[in-house]
Amino acid sequence: MAGTRAAFAALGGRWRELTERWLQRRAPAARRVTLDHSRLFILPTRAGLAFLMVVIILWLLGTNYENNLVFALTFLLVSLFAVLPVHTFANLSGLQLRLCEVRPVFAGDYAEALLRVGRPGNRIRERIEIFWPPEQGAWLDLVDRGEEEVRVALPVVRRGRVRAPRLRVQSRFPLGLFRCWSRVDLDVEFLVYPQPKSAGPLPLGAATADGESVQKRAGGDDFAGLATYRPGDSPRHLAWKQYAGGRDLYSKRYESGVDTRLWLDWDLLAGRDVETRLCNLCHWALQAEREQSAYGLRLPGTVIQPALGPDHLRRVLTALALFPIHAPAGGDR
Amino acid sequence: MSTAERLPRESLLWIFAAQLAALLPQFSRLPLWIPIAWALAVYWRFQVYRGRWDLPGRWIKLLAVVLALGGLLLSFRHWFSLAPMVALLAVSFTLKNLELFNRRDAFLSLLLSYFVAATLFVFEQSIPYAIYGCLCVVVITAGLAAQLGSHSAAPRRALGLSLRLLAQAVPLMLLLFVVLPRLGPLWAVPQSSGGASTGISDSMSPGDFTDLSRSDEPTLRIAFDGPVPPPEQRYWRGLVYEHFDGRRWSLANHRYSGGPHWQLPPARPLPEVGPRYRYRVIQEPTNSRWLFAMARPNSNTEGVEEMPDDRLLRRAPVYSRFAYEVRSWPRESLAAGPPLSLRARRRNLQLPDGVNPRTRAWVRNLRRRGLDAQQMSAALLDFFHRDFTYTLKPPALGADSVDDFLFDTRQGFCEHFAGAYVFAMRAAGVPARVVAGYQGGEWVAQEKYLLVRQYDAHAWAEIWTPARGWQRVDPTAAVSPERIRDGLESAAADEFMQDSLLPLHRISILNRLRLQWDMINYRWYSTVISFDSDKQQSLLQRLLGEVSALRMALLLAVPAALALLGILAWMWFSGRGARAPRSSRLYRKFCRRLARAGLQRRSGEAPRDFCRRVCVERPQLAPAVRAITAAFERAAYGGDAAAEKQLRLLLRRFWPLRAAAAR
Repeated sequence: MAGTRAAFAALGGRWRELTERWLQRRAPAARRVTLDHSRLFILPTRAGLAFLMVVIILWLLGTNYENNLVFALTFLLVSLFAVLPVHTFANLSGLQLRLCEVRPVFAGDYAEALLRVGRPGNRIRERIEIFWPPEQGAWLDLVDRGEEEVRVALPVVRRGRVRAPRLRVQSRFPLGLFRCWSRVDLDVEFLVYPQPKSAGPLPLGAATADGESVQKRAGGDDFAGLATYRPGDSPRHLAWKQYAGGRDLYSKRYESGVDTRLWLDWDLLAGRDVETRLCNLCHWALQAEREQSAYGLRLPGTVIQPALGPDHLRRVLTALALFPIHAPAGGDR
Repeated sequence: MSTAERLPRESLLWIFAAQLAALLPQFSRLPLWIPIAWALAVYWRFQVYRGRWDLPGRWIKLLAVVLALGGLLLSFRHWFSLAPMVALLAVSFTLKNLELFNRRDAFLSLLLSYFVAATLFVFEQSIPYAIYGCLCVVVITAGLAAQLGSHSAAPRRALGLSLRLLAQAVPLMLLLFVVLPRLGPLWAVPQSSGGASTGISDSMSPGDFTDLSRSDEPTLRIAFDGPVPPPEQRYWRGLVYEHFDGRRWSLANHRYSGGPHWQLPPARPLPEVGPRYRYRVIQEPTNSRWLFAMARPNSNTEGVEEMPDDRLLRRAPVYSRFAYEVRSWPRESLAAGPPLSLRARRRNLQLPDGVNPRTRAWVRNLRRRGLDAQQMSAALLDFFHRDFTYTLKPPALGADSVDDFLFDTRQGFCEHFAGAYVFAMRAAGVPARVVAGYQGGEWVAQEKYLLVRQYDAHAWAEIWTPARGWQRVDPTAAVSPERIRDGLESAAADEFMQDSLLPLHRISILNRLRLQWDMINYRWYSTVISFDSDKQQSLLQRLLGEVSALRMALLLAVPAALALLGILAWMWFSGRGARAPRSSRLYRKFCRRLARAGLQRRSGEAPRDFCRRVCVERPQLAPAVRAITAAFERAAYGGDAAAEKQLRLLLRRFWPLRAAAAR
């Protein structure tokens, strides 16, 4: 049982792969697509099949009662059924789709693509549905205006550059008995930022010094020199060796190389896995931007100097989004 | 996902409209509680639609289902017929309305509406009903269009769409109607039984025919192919009553009488001479199996059999309008048949004991005078002629009805005369029987057919003599010859249709209108309703010359091919989208010319790159190509109208192939 199911699943996968490849040849990706007969497919819906059932029952009724009016009604419905696909097809045929804008988005959110749909002539187009199956999409009517903008949303879970699957443009106009559809590849690619996940307060002053442009701060481990003793200095810091040598009482001064600027550092989050680190960094970046404190980003292989502003944020988030998936997890740069 | 979609709000009203349209004419046939329940359910759902009420809870729905089922069980005894089915559908509409949310429910409801609308035609096939049926289909289709919601749900748009789609479907429908073969019933279907049979019934007691005389419903329409019989020959025999129980005449209880266990009679050889009359009868539904024809009939219509007593019987009852072809040989044109079998003789002399003693005595008296059968009959008719009155309002008769009629009241309608005559003849030892049917009919000159109405119902007699076999005797003719010659209206002028609410038959313009209407009906029945496989065959023959597989295929293929071509052409023109702008077309022309000269523009090569390549490969073309490319760029991207003109001029002089040849 499980074996056959697996076999069916494999067959289904193979079938999808084949159709995908066939579609790739037949309707290659493009930012601007005109729906024509080579891209449109049409089949009766389940309601259409039910309609045919009713027609068959009516035919039986007419035959058994030898009733010509029932026959006439039956044939009228059959003819109606024959006329419908033309209208359903015409509702989509010639439609022009153009990708206008794709906004970056956080993982776990809906990525939206802004499309512009236009028609060539003046024929009314109704009840067009554009969506990424199995999601709900946008409904669209082209009645008075020849062009409309629609936003189509796709949920994204993975960060990085996400290539959207083929969009489905479909319509069941006029009676819902036929469905005409096209699977359109508008070459949509989303930039998906990691999902922000809180990792505590901003790591202000937590980053270690990094050579240049560091501010020193008293205290710490590094010996910085001697200074004449002033009352109040810690007796532990007295330079007994020099005092014993017959010199004045000095006290030892220590300082540490501390960067007072805010660095969102990969290494601060050691011990967590790659994706969690990225999520935390993302959250910090957003928080810092909100609090208007300049922040920089340090990732293995990437350093972005601290700054502020939407462009900076975008740069930081992009760096997070595009961080290679199989990156060295350690702290070494 | 498509099935679980919520129903657009606007389309709800369309569904109710479609249901109402389909159910409205059925309401009179359904038990009263069904329309009421339907209206309640619609009201409830409508209140939900307006946001005033809540949808019914589970228990209320359960209660509704139980009540509906109980109601159906109580209302119907026979389940296998059409009326309970329609009731069931109406009830399911009702219950479904209480939970009409998503699109699938709506589809179901609308598809069922089509079916309910169609069942209407099984009950009625007249023109008004046909028109009403068309209306139903338009509304239901509009409902289907509206359930998509948004723009299509606007009433005008939905109706317009529906009308347009149906109008486009009509040509194909007509073709299918004419061409698609009719198979004939696949199985015995439950007929719309229970409807009281109209017209002549299977028995006759005094007063029955008087009732019929009050109805001017058409019952037969007869079109003749060849000679039309004179009025006094127009006896449309339907039933032969052979059994008398003292009061009522009824069909003899033998196996050819058309009872439930009906067997095929032994085939009788057809007469050697040709038939005198050929005609086609269109009969209104009677819910019984007998047909009407002149003696001796023969029919080759499917399902129609000839009985030994010279009448036609249909295998299935006539529940809807039925047309049949008849050939008739009048009895006097035939040689006398074989002698009456003993059994038949006994049947046609049967009389109940002890009734009507005065008549028996009177007949015995006549017999004693030595009269034979013919003389007996003549004496009786003479008696009728002298002393009797033909009236639509005969006085009531006592237990010995024939005695009372013959010797006391002496006023009667056809069934009194026929019954008394046959009784007397049987008492005299002459085999006799009562025949019922219609007599006469109104000749509709424009359409050349005979219209027989219910009030033409008539009863007469037949007696058997060894010399002539069965022969028709109409005692009514002895009393009121006008009845036979001119019909009931002139025979009983004062009494005719007196009971009807308004004496409409007296207004001649109304009569004429009614006749006109009947003519239209006749056309409708004879062309559409009774279009069967025979007519189909002959129509195809007229259209095609001969019905062969090749010609049929042509008849089907030519319209199909035309339609396909039309669709293809339409797709070609609409699929091309907008035309490319002029500058692009000109540039393409330029590219074609270069290609002919051996310089193919690569796909994806920008005009400027192409220009550079051409300049390198064919330096002699360089100036022209540069100029053209520049002009194209200005025209296409700069929107420069002058550049477009320049491009055209430049192209006119640009012939790279000729330039190469001239060199």
